[in-house]
Amino acid sequence: MPGMLMDSGGAIVPFSGEPGLAAAAAPPVRTIRHGVTPPISRVYVSFSSGNLLQVACLRPPNPEGGGDRGEEEVAGGRVVEVNLGGGGGGPAGADAEEEIDEAEMRRIEYGSVPAFALLQSRKNALADGSGMSRLPSVSEHAEWWQYVLEYSKTIGSLLGNPDSLPAFMIDDPEIILKVREKPTSLKAAWELLEIFFVDKQLQTWLPERLVDWLADYDSLLTKTQNTIYRMLSNFQKKLINLQVVEDDPDYWSGLSAALSVGWLDIVVNMLRFHGSYQLDQMDSRETENGLVEAVAVLVSTMPRMRPDLPSGKLGQCCKTRPDFIKALEKWRGQGFEGMHQLAQKCIQLKPSADNSGLTGLLTGILSENTEVVLAECTKNFGPWMVTHAMELLTADNDYADMMLHEERPNFGGISIEELHRLVYAQVLCSHALTWQIAPTYLSSCLNQGLGLLEILLLKQPIQDNRIILKTLEICRLYELENVSTNIMKIAGIYHWKHGRKGTGVYWFQQANDKVRLDRIAQQLFEHIGKSVTDDSFKQWEGLLELLGSDIGSAGGLEFLHRYRDFKRSLQMAQEGRTAESVRQTVEFLIQLMRNPSTPQRFWLPLLHDSVRLLNCKPCPSLSVAETTLLLNKLQELSLAKLRPDFSNIHLPSHALNSVRLALASNLARAILEEPSQKRFPTTELTGLPLFCFWVYSLSDIDTNASARNAHTLTSMNTLTLTLLL
Amino acid sequence: MAERQVAELGAGAACVGWNHCGRRLAAGAVDGFVSVYDSQPSPSSKWQAHEHAILNIVWLPPDYGDAIACVCADGTLSLWEEISEDDQLPTWRKCKVFESGNSHILNVTAYSDGQVKVYELLDSLELDKWQLQAEFQNITDPVSRSGKPTCTSASIAWSPRRGESQQASFAIGFNSDSPNFNSCKIWEFEEAHQRWLPLVELGSPQDKGDIVRAVAWAPNIGRPYEIIAVATCKGIAIWHIGLSAESDGSLSTENVAVLSGHDGEVLQLEWDMGGMTLASTGGDGMVKLWQANLNGVWHEQAVLDCNVSH
Repeated sequence: MPGMLMDSGGAIVPFSGEPGLAAAAAPPVRTIRHGVTPPISRVYVSFSSGNLLQVACLRPPNPEGGGDRGEEEVAGGRVVEVNLGGGGGGPAGADAEEEIDEAEMRRIEYGSVPAFALLQSRKNALADGSGMSRLPSVSEHAEWWQYVLEYSKTIGSLLGNPDSLPAFMIDDPEIILKVREKPTSLKAAWELLEIFFVDKQLQTWLPERLVDWLADYDSLLTKTQNTIYRMLSNFQKKLINLQVVEDDPDYWSGLSAALSVGWLDIVVNMLRFHGSYQLDQMDSRETENGLVEAVAVLVSTMPRMRPDLPSGKLGQCCKTRPDFIKALEKWRGQGFEGMHQLAQKCIQLKPSADNSGLTGLLTGILSENTEVVLAECTKNFGPWMVTHAMELLTADNDYADMMLHEERPNFGGISIEELHRLVYAQVLCSHALTWQIAPTYLSSCLNQGLGLLEILLLKQPIQDNRIILKTLEICRLYELENVSTNIMKIAGIYHWKHGRKGTGVYWFQQANDKVRLDRIAQQLFEHIGKSVTDDSFKQWEGLLELLGSDIGSAGGLEFLHRYRDFKRSLQMAQEGRTAESVRQTVEFLIQLMRNPSTPQRFWLPLLHDSVRLLNCKPCPSLSVAETTLLLNKLQELSLAKLRPDFSNIHLPSHALNSVRLALASNLARAILEEPSQKRFPTTELTGLPLFCFWVYSLSDIDTNASARNAHTLTSMNTLTLTLLL
Repeated sequence: MAERQVAELGAGAACVGWNHCGRRLAAGAVDGFVSVYDSQPSPSSKWQAHEHAILNIVWLPPDYGDAIACVCADGTLSLWEEISEDDQLPTWRKCKVFESGNSHILNVTAYSDGQVKVYELLDSLELDKWQLQAEFQNITDPVSRSGKPTCTSASIAWSPRRGESQQASFAIGFNSDSPNFNSCKIWEFEEAHQRWLPLVELGSPQDKGDIVRAVAWAPNIGRPYEIIAVATCKGIAIWHIGLSAESDGSLSTENVAVLSGHDGEVLQLEWDMGGMTLASTGGDGMVKLWQANLNGVWHEQAVLDCNVSH
């Protein structure tokens, strides 16, 4: 992805300073430490999430086919994962990476999400409102820069101690520099951008603000060349062994350096180390001491154009320019100059080969070249910095606003701002602990963010239920219904194939995957069809329960639910044999047989299940009409058997006969039971009608009998059996 | 920036394939064995899938479960899926064998007679049941039909579909013993007539005869055009293909870059998830990363050297 391996020249930024140079330069070469003994015959690669590239290095396969498998097996190769974007998504600049470890960078990444999201929502609200006020861009709004300033302060506080307390002590006369936590370049760069691009209140006292900044971060400007901080720090080490400080040239060069950048407190403190202050010298060096003290007083009252001073800082505050000019004239009149060099000093800071990027950034800022600022941020501070600093650069700068928001047709129609957000999101995607904050940044991209978010979500492993839930929550938040459906389907098939049928069905249900649910229902039919009467009932009953009561969702399910009700009822009827439960079961059976959604191949198993019920004595379970219906179904089934597409269910060979027998005897008893029954519909019946009709006529004779006796029934059963056989 | 070790491959490993999220990988060996790795240096499963060497291993899309396709040196192609019952350890089951294909990705097989066969799954829960959905001649040039060139190798890249509405399409890099017919073509399924149509051929007349080594179709996260990378002996060509047809019905294609850098042939092309970075591997043991800058100019962004052992 763009932005990785930042030392390659940051070609993604339109850095006009060196036209064509970045592209022409040889790309950086990184050696992959895979540990496989050369030669390498073949390399395979695969991008996983974000900037993670898996690299498989294979040795030439042994033509004998690895016949010597065993303890002496030589590895055929190794697979390693390479993070192209730098460890943990930290800044790719070498210095910045040394400063901030992975966990710290993750803290910053997490901490900056709310501030970024808040600023985006404020921007959107202003943009919505600007339709009426007809302001061309959000940055025209008066309150915008204050929002950005608030955002900048929040982010800045994440990067380190927010209060820039004086770095130097004057309390202890023997100590010039206070030992403190090492400042980071990232924080220094952020503050620099804030000073120059955002904080409008600072505009009048910019040089003074720069002095404060230097006090905090001067030590970071270069590693090889002398900074004022290093000069002073070296001098401090020497100080213990010095008898007469004013004889050491470093004392004077340190003084002038500190004075040149306006560190008045340091200057005064150092002046007081002067030998003339020592008690045993006072008498002989009175004049000299008077002069030094006069200088110290003068330095400590140097006019400074700034609203206030932190306690302990020296100088005389002038809030407005006229006051300052007047004070400066007066002060200069007292014999000192030097402040005017301050601005020059900053501008002339020479970039050196090993700088941490701060000097380059300063040069870019002072030359008002947004491209350079952007390129330096990209090169030295990485995707996190660029993405977040973009808001500072555009806060009050029309050119930057235009440059960063212009859609580039050569780059798929996205703007530089969007590009860097995509790049940063990919960095976040590269770590299991940060991928979940990537959506905030992707959703702020107008053109391609959601496309990348969809791919990111679909790439999450579905083996872990917590990750699925997290992914689905993100889908819901960004209204990505089709993605969540896909993820549920993938999770469903995974669990289904891995023996967790219930979880599988649950996810298919969630995804409303009718095709697969129908297939599962069908598989259940087949399963049920094979062993319909045994105790496998329990196994699929739970699954059916899961398939839910939403029987409209899949045709097959409706049947299965009815079938379940029937089976339960049947069991109860067979255990309890109460008239009520028998009646209930019969009703379920008839419903099932009437329902067009009941597949034909289940008719016989259903009836076979019911044989014991049908044979239930003493009274018939089914009415004449019901029995007729079932007989009709049997008839239809025997006709269907002749068709080539008939699917046979494995039932015992006598199944059909036992069903017929049971039905016939039930019919006979029913006829006897139903004296008021009108004509018996015989027209559709073939084979059995003769018998039925005979039974019917026989029953007519016996109709008026007050009670049937068991003997009659037994003989009828025998007769039935004879006829059927 | 240290490399993290993912897997230790056994002796004779010949090819490797990753699943959709890049967390599982399968390796095929010259002795026909397949090993599957799950974030552990040693394989979680290992079995003999074929009698002969395995040339290529591809994971099926996750919609089909955890399943792989193995292309064997004897021309067969087998599909295997991971299943388990209750709390048992997962096992791999052979679902289907397609005979005598010679190159394959997903459910398209390119046959040595130049035919392309597209299979579709009949039952989304069962990987055993496939039906031949279409069969067509990859060479569309009418003159060529009589010649019956024999396909020597082929590579196929399916379009990463973004939604149900988008038509299925794939790019096929095709090589034969008659170099004239070497080409990279895009085929698209036409729903209305239920048939596959050749959309465009990627290549200019002077490129005729170049062997197509690899094809990769970039994920599209919102560009108004598709990007396909095609590797030939001339280097890696980056193609832009317009999403909507021109007035005459044809698709606009533009070769925006030809990238050279590998010493020797390019063996594999792979896009990152945003379709912004292309990784290529070559016979020189190098991995090269390619990107376009804001002006649309493609360049070599970085090189990963795998030839040195530490």
